[in-house]
Amino acid sequence: MAFVAAVAASHAPNILLEPGAEWDEFMALHYRMAPQAGSSKPSLEVQQTLRHDAEKAYATLRADLEAARPDVLIVVANDQFVNFVFNNIPTFFVTLADEVKGQFTRHRFHYRNHKELGRAILKAGMERGINISFGEYVELQHTQTVPLYFLLPEPKIPILPIYVNTWVEPIPTPRRCYQVGELIRKVADGWKERVAILATGGLSHFPGSPRIGEIDTQFDHKLLEILREGKGRALADYSIEEICKAGDSEFLNWMVVVGAIGDAKASQTFYMPDHVATGWGFVSWKI
Amino acid sequence: MSSYHLNRFLFDLKMNDQTLKQAAADLDGAINRYELTAEEREALKAGDPRRLRQLGAHGMLALYIMRLNPEFRNNIYWSQK
Repeated sequence: MAFVAAVAASHAPNILLEPGAEWDEFMALHYRMAPQAGSSKPSLEVQQTLRHDAEKAYATLRADLEAARPDVLIVVANDQFVNFVFNNIPTFFVTLADEVKGQFTRHRFHYRNHKELGRAILKAGMERGINISFGEYVELQHTQTVPLYFLLPEPKIPILPIYVNTWVEPIPTPRRCYQVGELIRKVADGWKERVAILATGGLSHFPGSPRIGEIDTQFDHKLLEILREGKGRALADYSIEEICKAGDSEFLNWMVVVGAIGDAKASQTFYMPDHVATGWGFVSWKI
Repeated sequence: MSSYHLNRFLFDLKMNDQTLKQAAADLDGAINRYELTAEEREALKAGDPRRLRQLGAHGMLALYIMRLNPEFRNNIYWSQK
């Protein structure tokens, strides 16, 4: 029937941790990579404001998603050493499970998986020379569950997790991610149900590195401006080096959605650097 | 040189409760099951994620050595993935 909605949102774990003790405990561990970064710890009030603003941004995205009445939500995210490790790292991966589960602190997640749509995407890709890996089991992690907590808290519709390798060199080019997005769009346009897509991750951050705490807000603002102008196609020309230098490798997840929406302008963008690790970004497109 | 075995141990520490249990009780015994260099073994025993990263561990796996650190044993980090 149709491709009906597209959103993108950060998946930073601290968005879903309680401001205060949980957030501080979590960051204390990260800062073992860069003890100097911990000195800029935001106050409880600042943490609470950030959480409040993120909830507002997610609420806008959720309202747009629900208004589009999707029958399935494709979730494009990166695996962070839960399903894939160095014996086999797929550049792109489509989930063909019957159901998918995961846990984030005290929150449990359990969704049906839309493997029929997954198979259709894989098959269409093979026909066009885009050969994507696949498998019948994945465990969900924060890269999916943090946004899903806010966007699809009740498992009313099935999801379809699609993975992009954004973390382990060599990673795919923005152009290739864009092409995968175009492929998904083509399949969605001819699909018998209403298809929505969510990309997660970013924006600028340097987890697990001595640069943790640095946030390239200028680069992030530029990305969001390009999306507001509907010129996401131009981002396919960016080099991996440019994107990684800004700590935006997870923007490759977003590039898949950018390929799916084509020249549509972002109707809403939100941005809030969290002062400790990540530039939180949220975008919705009207299709 | 490949850091496969170093990353593999850290991944198992994250994903496999048995590995975590064994490593907490007897780190030497646990890492003996992996093909590690003397330098990698020392860094694991020192528990320093920065050093592990320098030796080729992925930064986000290197953090998992702190599961064995009493200061971080009950950290909320381990209750999510």
